[in-house]
Amino acid sequence: MDFFILNILNAMQLSMLIFILAIGLTLIFGLMDTLNLAHGGFYTIGAYAGSQLAINGSFWLAFLVSPLVAGIAGAILQRFALQPLASKGRSTHLDFALFTFGLLFVIMGGAEIIFGSAYLSIDAPAILKGGFAISGVTFPYYRVFVIFLGLTCGGVLWLLIDRTVLGAVVRAGVADRETVCTLGIDINRVFVVVFALGCAFAGLAGVVSAPIFGIYSHMGASILVVTLIVVVVGGLGSFKGSFWASIIVGTFETMAQAYAPDVQLYGLYILLALILAVKPEGLFAIQRRIA
Amino acid sequence: MSKQKLIPIIKCTSRNRVIHLTVIAVGLMTLVPFVLNDYQISLGTEVMIFALYALGINVLLGYTGYVSLGHAMFLGIGGYGLAILSVLWGWPVWAAVPATFLIGAILGGVIGFACLRVGKIQFLVLTLAFSQMLSGAFTKLKATGGTDGMAGIPRPDLAWLGVDSWNNDIFYLYVLTFFLVVTFTLYRVLHSPFGSVLVGIRENERRMVALGYRTGRYKIGAFAISGFVATVAGLLLAQRTGFATPDYMSWSYSGEGILMVIIGGMQSFSGPILGAGFYVLAKAGLADITDEYIVVFGLLFMIVVAGFRTGLSGLIKVILTWRTRNERT
Amino acid sequence: MNALEIIDLNRSFGAISVIEGLTLSIKEGQRHAIIGPNGAGKTTLFNMLTGWLPPSSGSIMFGDKSIAGMTPSRITASGMARSFQINALFDGLTVRQNLRLSAQALHPSRLDVIASFNAYSDIEELVIFNAERMALTDYMDKPVQELSYGIRRQLEVALALTSEPKLLLLDEPAAGTSPSERLRLVNLITRLPKSTTILLVEHDMDLVFEISDRITVLTYGSVLADGSPDEIRRHKAVSDAYLGKNHA
Repeated sequence: MDFFILNILNAMQLSMLIFILAIGLTLIFGLMDTLNLAHGGFYTIGAYAGSQLAINGSFWLAFLVSPLVAGIAGAILQRFALQPLASKGRSTHLDFALFTFGLLFVIMGGAEIIFGSAYLSIDAPAILKGGFAISGVTFPYYRVFVIFLGLTCGGVLWLLIDRTVLGAVVRAGVADRETVCTLGIDINRVFVVVFALGCAFAGLAGVVSAPIFGIYSHMGASILVVTLIVVVVGGLGSFKGSFWASIIVGTFETMAQAYAPDVQLYGLYILLALILAVKPEGLFAIQRRIA
Repeated sequence: MSKQKLIPIIKCTSRNRVIHLTVIAVGLMTLVPFVLNDYQISLGTEVMIFALYALGINVLLGYTGYVSLGHAMFLGIGGYGLAILSVLWGWPVWAAVPATFLIGAILGGVIGFACLRVGKIQFLVLTLAFSQMLSGAFTKLKATGGTDGMAGIPRPDLAWLGVDSWNNDIFYLYVLTFFLVVTFTLYRVLHSPFGSVLVGIRENERRMVALGYRTGRYKIGAFAISGFVATVAGLLLAQRTGFATPDYMSWSYSGEGILMVIIGGMQSFSGPILGAGFYVLAKAGLADITDEYIVVFGLLFMIVVAGFRTGLSGLIKVILTWRTRNERT
Repeated sequence: MNALEIIDLNRSFGAISVIEGLTLSIKEGQRHAIIGPNGAGKTTLFNMLTGWLPPSSGSIMFGDKSIAGMTPSRITASGMARSFQINALFDGLTVRQNLRLSAQALHPSRLDVIASFNAYSDIEELVIFNAERMALTDYMDKPVQELSYGIRRQLEVALALTSEPKLLLLDEPAAGTSPSERLRLVNLITRLPKSTTILLVEHDMDLVFEISDRITVLTYGSVLADGSPDEIRRHKAVSDAYLGKNHA
């Protein structure tokens, strides 16, 4: 029984970590219809930035500043690369996805050049060191922190989307971008903010995951696969979907690793295929106009 | 009296130009084993193999408009198919090779069928998932050697031709034969009415449905063809190295495949070939300078997507037409 | 037999009923227009007729075939073609390539993997014929994205015409066109053979009254009035619906 609880806790922690990433991707896709395949790259930036800040400062410095770094990088990308491309008028959604895909490679390669192929890490802060005993192991307080962080991010995001003007603009923009523009709102500025926010979430996930999973140049690609599966299973552009899909995926992965490790390498993909077979648009897909 | 030679006036249309260039290219490729050294010949073989791989990817990407992030799985199927059939099950090579191709085509068709109802983004993720799934499965399977994969991939017995396929030059010509046959056949198919339907699906799938096309069937067909061609590449790759490992099915091979296609120019037939050539040669060349070819290729990729959409093949077209324009003045 | 028989058609989205108890007959060879205020359900009706939306209930008979719920490609193969209100063209391709795709759609050559894409002379002739019909000959080898809106609209209608359908559905063909383009459209529609039945959704009343044999007025998802242009012109409820109850 204790073993089961331990796994539930691990599942929650993994789910929340994935959820923070999924929020970012969904935010960008939901409003801007852009599949940011470089999302894994901003996760990487957050992690590496965090490692440098943690060495020279503390975990909390890294925790606060890394998302900013990732967010600013995202803002630059949107303002100076993606937006000009969009205004040229001939770039399709495929082009943006491919463009960000190339960027992912550049970031991963760049990380390898700058930091080498060794694994880096960030130490958990002193206040969160240690844990409580369960099922013969110690469950780190740090992981409890991650669970609360994920839920907090979800809560903050919900408040932002549901209760603020920015959120209202985002929701309106998802439903009908053109009308939002006709209301006199500078949609480009909104896009930069939203894109930056999405990348900041990725960066946050990166720095927070570092004490658990370590930092290496290819970390962006592996996490991107899981994140993509989550947003597709949840329904592209749906936050509710991202939340529940993160829980499904995180739980599945943890339980598989604990109880059926042979299945773990491919089980998730079969789950994805099964879910899409029944609901091709994802579990909580947003209805768009057929037009 | 001087004899006047009547020189026939050949209109240098672009079609003739393409034919001329193709003939020259094929000629040069055939000369390679007789002119270059062992290392260069080996590189040439690698170029042709990845050119086939890129051509396969482009059937979906450039012609039908679907991005497959898992095409490396066909590289793996090509290698493992031959390995399992010939090494594990003892089939003769002349049977195992076509059987492997057939498996690749069928797998392509099945995946195409499975992806019919989903959108392009779900497709992207699903293909990635399929390839990771296959990669994971083969990593686990003890019978196929787990992460080490299988060795002893056989080459065809060409003794009846009086040659040894383990000879570098002969293997090059063997691969060249496949390359020419598959490339020319693919050219025919993509420039047929069937091919025009694929292009229509890429440009406006909804309208194609409204016009009366049963687009699902065409997509399955495109997938099967794409899978087939990539499987051929995978089989030749395994024969070249002698190994079939789960590595070949990794997402990095999928990603690099797309890089090749885009850099070469995804909306032309020859683009993937040029992209593969550039990629393999540049990677080999850069290896002396730096290990970090990925950054360079990533940047080049972004530049092509953002600005120079037609890629290398577009660049070459510009150079050629610029010459014609200068010739006329 | 009527070209199209719609019986008690219903379509709702959740609690909102968009089409309610719609019953309508389209006679063969007629030029039949459907008009009505915005939101009356005209586009929803078209989407159901062409297979893009399944009805919630009711039946649609196309000749002797029941087509309710069929896929769009099958319906087109049965002889119904549609032009779209918002242009749905192959923007990156030339006019010739656009027309060829339309001409090829129901032709056996569409499955040919060996011949060259322009090898079929009957298709090429059909392409040229339809280009001439819609005054597109000058633009044959220009990419669609370089053409003006009016030319694109002509191509939009041409794509529907090329398959020589038994029933042609035109969704606001005159939308956004200039007077001369409108005139060309009128001439074209009047010159189409009687073997082609035409069902037209339009807001341009001059066009509607000029070419229609019969007009159906749709409001709130059901038929308000159905009759000859003269009858509709004099129909009180129709002018109420369009102009409001307190008009002069």
